[in-house]
Amino acid sequence: MSEVLRTQALCKRFGGVVVANRIDLTLNGGQIVGLIGPNGAGKTSLFNLISGAIPADSGSVMLNGAAIGNLPMHSRARLGISRSWQHNRLFPSLTVLDNLLLAERRRGELRDVAATRERAMAQLEKVRMTHAAHRLPPELSYGKQKLISLARVLMNDGNCLLLDEPMAGVEGPAYDSIRAVVRNEAAAGRAVCVVEHNISFIKDLCDLAVFMFAGRIIQTGPIDEMMRSPELTELYFGA
Amino acid sequence: MEFVGSILIQIGIFTILATSFNLIIGYGGLMSIAHPIFFALGAYGSGLLTQATGVPVFAGIAFGMALATVASVALALPSLRVSGDYLVIASIGFQLGLLQIIKNSEWSGGPGGLSNIPPLLHAVGPAAIWSYVAIVGFAAIASILIVRWLVSGDYGRAITAMRDDEEAFKGLGHDAVRLKLVLFGIGSGLAGLAGGLYGHYFLFVTPEQFEILYSAAMLTMVVVGGIRTVWGPALGAVLLQFLPQAINFLKLPSSVTGPLQGILFTGLVLLFLFLRPHGLLGRAPGARAVVQEDDPTEASVK
Repeated sequence: MSEVLRTQALCKRFGGVVVANRIDLTLNGGQIVGLIGPNGAGKTSLFNLISGAIPADSGSVMLNGAAIGNLPMHSRARLGISRSWQHNRLFPSLTVLDNLLLAERRRGELRDVAATRERAMAQLEKVRMTHAAHRLPPELSYGKQKLISLARVLMNDGNCLLLDEPMAGVEGPAYDSIRAVVRNEAAAGRAVCVVEHNISFIKDLCDLAVFMFAGRIIQTGPIDEMMRSPELTELYFGA
Repeated sequence: MEFVGSILIQIGIFTILATSFNLIIGYGGLMSIAHPIFFALGAYGSGLLTQATGVPVFAGIAFGMALATVASVALALPSLRVSGDYLVIASIGFQLGLLQIIKNSEWSGGPGGLSNIPPLLHAVGPAAIWSYVAIVGFAAIASILIVRWLVSGDYGRAITAMRDDEEAFKGLGHDAVRLKLVLFGIGSGLAGLAGGLYGHYFLFVTPEQFEILYSAAMLTMVVVGGIRTVWGPALGAVLLQFLPQAINFLKLPSSVTGPLQGILFTGLVLLFLFLRPHGLLGRAPGARAVVQEDDPTEASVK
């Protein structure tokens, strides 16, 4: 498996709160990594640091062997870092289809409008939401917005996917859709990192789990092993 | 009839100002109150250049537009790089500071204003006025069409997304700062165009005509007509320029006319704030036909 993303000694603090304390994380193509830990552990902050939503105090971020730590967020996205957000953050004034069209990385003359629309519909098909293409996000339930948020991530076509709680508010067949989509993306050679509180989803899907607590990576390994550890269980559940 | 022509010219000029202000604050979501100073830069820039060098007036107006555009980018670039919120503070300083420079400089005519600005049309009489009405009308329509073109299609989609959620927009690979600069630069350049047309029609400008209060008047035109609508600001400009002027036809004593115009202006704003905050041509939030389609996941996704 080839290395797609690597962070080295990544640090970030907000005043007295350390959200990332020398984070070393490697994501390989074809691998699904689950990022777990209690609320406030720094999982979403790590996504923010990798995607460039917030600047790091120190440390480095490498994507496909190139340093991207000094690049702004939009440049990182153009290089192939595609992320979803905990609360979807779809554009409420735009239709679902327009939300996806905006995630196309190719710009201007390089873009084939008809092909882009076709590709957007193909991403919606993957999450079985083509029927919602012309609806506005606020007209849809939270779970459906999650599915569309995932489709928008796929539209980037980059090789590093960061999914922030993709299963929150989703159940039934949609759960299976998301699981299948994530598996397929990894099988296509992309590196996938998932922040998720749904442990069974992590167990079911991830090759590797990374346990975070108080801005630090405590342990890396199989999820089953972690859940058997009384120390980690106590840190996670507080009991 | 010359009076009517003069009002139409002012309506055209304020249509350009309101339309361009709508691009900045409405579509772009950029909080700036420096629009009057870009209007001034167009008027003074064009007036001074044509006076000093004798270049054709159209070239002077183009220079005024360029000056307003460059100044707006210089103002916006540092503040937008930090945060959009700083733009409003920077714009206040820019508006007040530059106007003070204009008021206190010899080259600008100081507080007495700049006079003897070369006219765009050398002919006199009604024919010249109606020709000017046509020129300003053309410029106003062109401004509206430029804004319509900008806010449609791919670009319009990007503008809407940026306004909805800037961080998510950047996360999709879009440079929000560059897009804001483009909107601010184009909007301010159009204000410069309005300034040039204003100066070369009235042939005399004073700093008082570009005071910060004029941004409130422009905002009122945008709000009354309909913020984030293509034709709304033009309608607002017509109403807020024409209706107060129409009072003059009532031939009331001047002691009554002035206050009545003010009451009408303020009353309109209050009326719209309470009864129709989205303006005359705007759509109320949520007023959209719901698309009903087959939804196989309805039962499974909550």
